[in-house]
Amino acid sequence: MKILKPITSLVLAITSATVIAAPDPGKAVTSNQPAKASAPAKQTQQHQRRPKQLTLDNAEGATIKLWKPDLTTIPLEQRHLKHGSITLPRTGMDNYHAIVAEKDWGNSKEAVIRYEYLRGRPSKHSPTILSATQKTTFEVVPAPIPRGHYHYYSNQEWSFQTRFKQHPIPNLPVVMETTNGSRVETISDNNGMVTIRIPDDFPNIIPGERDRRSADFSVSAKYQDNGITYNTMLSAEYRVDQAHWKSLSWGFAVAGLGMIAGGFIGRTRKKNRS
Amino acid sequence: MNPLRNLSVIRKLVQVAAFALLVYGSSIGAYHLADKLTHALPALSCAYDLNGSDICALIPMQHQMDHRLGPAINSGGSILMGLLPTAITLGTFLIFFIFLNKAFCGWICPLGTFQEFLYMIGQKLGLQRTENVDGKIVQHLRPVKWLILILLVFGFPLLTGMGYLNHDLGDPFCKICPSRILTTLANGDTTQLHVDTASTTTMVLSILADFLFGLVIVLSLTVRQPFCRICPMLALNAIFRKLGLLRLIKNASSRCDKCGLCAKACPMDIKEIHTEMELKNVLFEDCTLCGRCVEFCPEKDVLQLKYTVIPVFSADPKYFKGRNKAQKKWEKTNLLSRLGGSRKPAKNSST
Repeated sequence: MKILKPITSLVLAITSATVIAAPDPGKAVTSNQPAKASAPAKQTQQHQRRPKQLTLDNAEGATIKLWKPDLTTIPLEQRHLKHGSITLPRTGMDNYHAIVAEKDWGNSKEAVIRYEYLRGRPSKHSPTILSATQKTTFEVVPAPIPRGHYHYYSNQEWSFQTRFKQHPIPNLPVVMETTNGSRVETISDNNGMVTIRIPDDFPNIIPGERDRRSADFSVSAKYQDNGITYNTMLSAEYRVDQAHWKSLSWGFAVAGLGMIAGGFIGRTRKKNRS
Repeated sequence: MNPLRNLSVIRKLVQVAAFALLVYGSSIGAYHLADKLTHALPALSCAYDLNGSDICALIPMQHQMDHRLGPAINSGGSILMGLLPTAITLGTFLIFFIFLNKAFCGWICPLGTFQEFLYMIGQKLGLQRTENVDGKIVQHLRPVKWLILILLVFGFPLLTGMGYLNHDLGDPFCKICPSRILTTLANGDTTQLHVDTASTTTMVLSILADFLFGLVIVLSLTVRQPFCRICPMLALNAIFRKLGLLRLIKNASSRCDKCGLCAKACPMDIKEIHTEMELKNVLFEDCTLCGRCVEFCPEKDVLQLKYTVIPVFSADPKYFKGRNKAQKKWEKTNLLSRLGGSRKPAKNSST
């Protein structure tokens, strides 16, 4: 398999998550290397009301847009960007929003997308419509966006689609990298789809103890068209696999005990009646 | 009897369709169903089911107690603002509830459907069934659903939001709800059948959930609707039952005293349907509006399902005869009898 080397120089990550330093174009991150610059990951805040902040490395010259669920966009300007950190403005709309950063180098174009849930009034729009809409020429689209009680967790399989001008791109090398240093390479199928198991790569996990750390992964791909190279990256947060403190086998055992108790209760009641 | 004129058969078809919609809705073509239809369904449909098309009203209510009302009280903020999201959820709930009333329990709820089908399997396996649960047990069980509603849906989440309890008690009903395990397992997802060792609270709740799930499965083979009897959604629906347009009406006759087939037919063992002679509206707190009492009432128009003032299904001697015959035929064939066993249908098998 052809090794995919360059990913975008743009790196978009949530401030509270572990953030990888921006890799230089042409410099691939190798498997299982520890993340470069990382503050300890903070506990995920599910119900935070503060404006969300993201870090965007190498943002000079980039165009950044915030896509609202109703597909209108807000350009993010210098006032939203401070020391490589973007403060997402309140949109007054609930649901998933997309932050899209694009950079044009002439013969190459880069794009990075991240979907974030922002709170407000019900948007009355499906996040599926947001993900289905073309937000940049070449993009990696989550299929589907995990929502409701679902999040990306390590050791889970999730699907993504590579799309160029809304057309799925088959047989394209796609790479997933995590800020914990893992790398997974795969190739898109005939529908441009890839299904990737997110690496279970959080260090120092204590079995049986809840671990609220989160980190970021990116799914990136490269495509050439009319002499222009398009680099794209989807960035998202993932959490520690809950199987480290949730036991399925014990769950089955306890349900089995419940079944035995159900049988016993049924028999006792019938005896009493007779 | 023509199966398509049999109310129980029609109800089963509706139940199967509702189960498919609520448990697999977004995976069968309609992607917008993944955004959920109401977010306040008066039936147990779980948010942990990624392919589900709706979530029950108890989920947002617990979250609102934990994240809105509790913090509002704790910080001395506006309680009205804290209650506003719950009012919106309740308003949405009522918009749907008014149309079908408690028929959401008897016709729509995936967990109710699951239990009914298990009971049918029990019937077909020839297991010795208990048609009617002892009246004393029924009486003792009735307050349990109210306790669960008050404590697990409102009380503990509110105290959690106020900081008196740990965050693991923010949605305690969801943590023990058998529908969560059922609907995820129905999608091939085993992650909800677990013992969670994150804390003592999660461990106790997850053990309780798994145990309850196993218990409900086996009990459902021989007892009608075991979980429905303690379901907090039944209690919530009971509060608003007088607002619903669909009602169960009784025009008691002098022969009601000697009959009692309606109470025997009732899967929730509501004896009051038989004994109540004064009230016209006999939609009792445990009723799921399944309509079986109307089917098995042999007296013309004594029991009726009415939509506002329009009768949609009424007791009829001719229907009763056909229905009774069909029921006996259905119960006659089971695995044990085919294998030459001597197990007879349950004592009250005519209903």
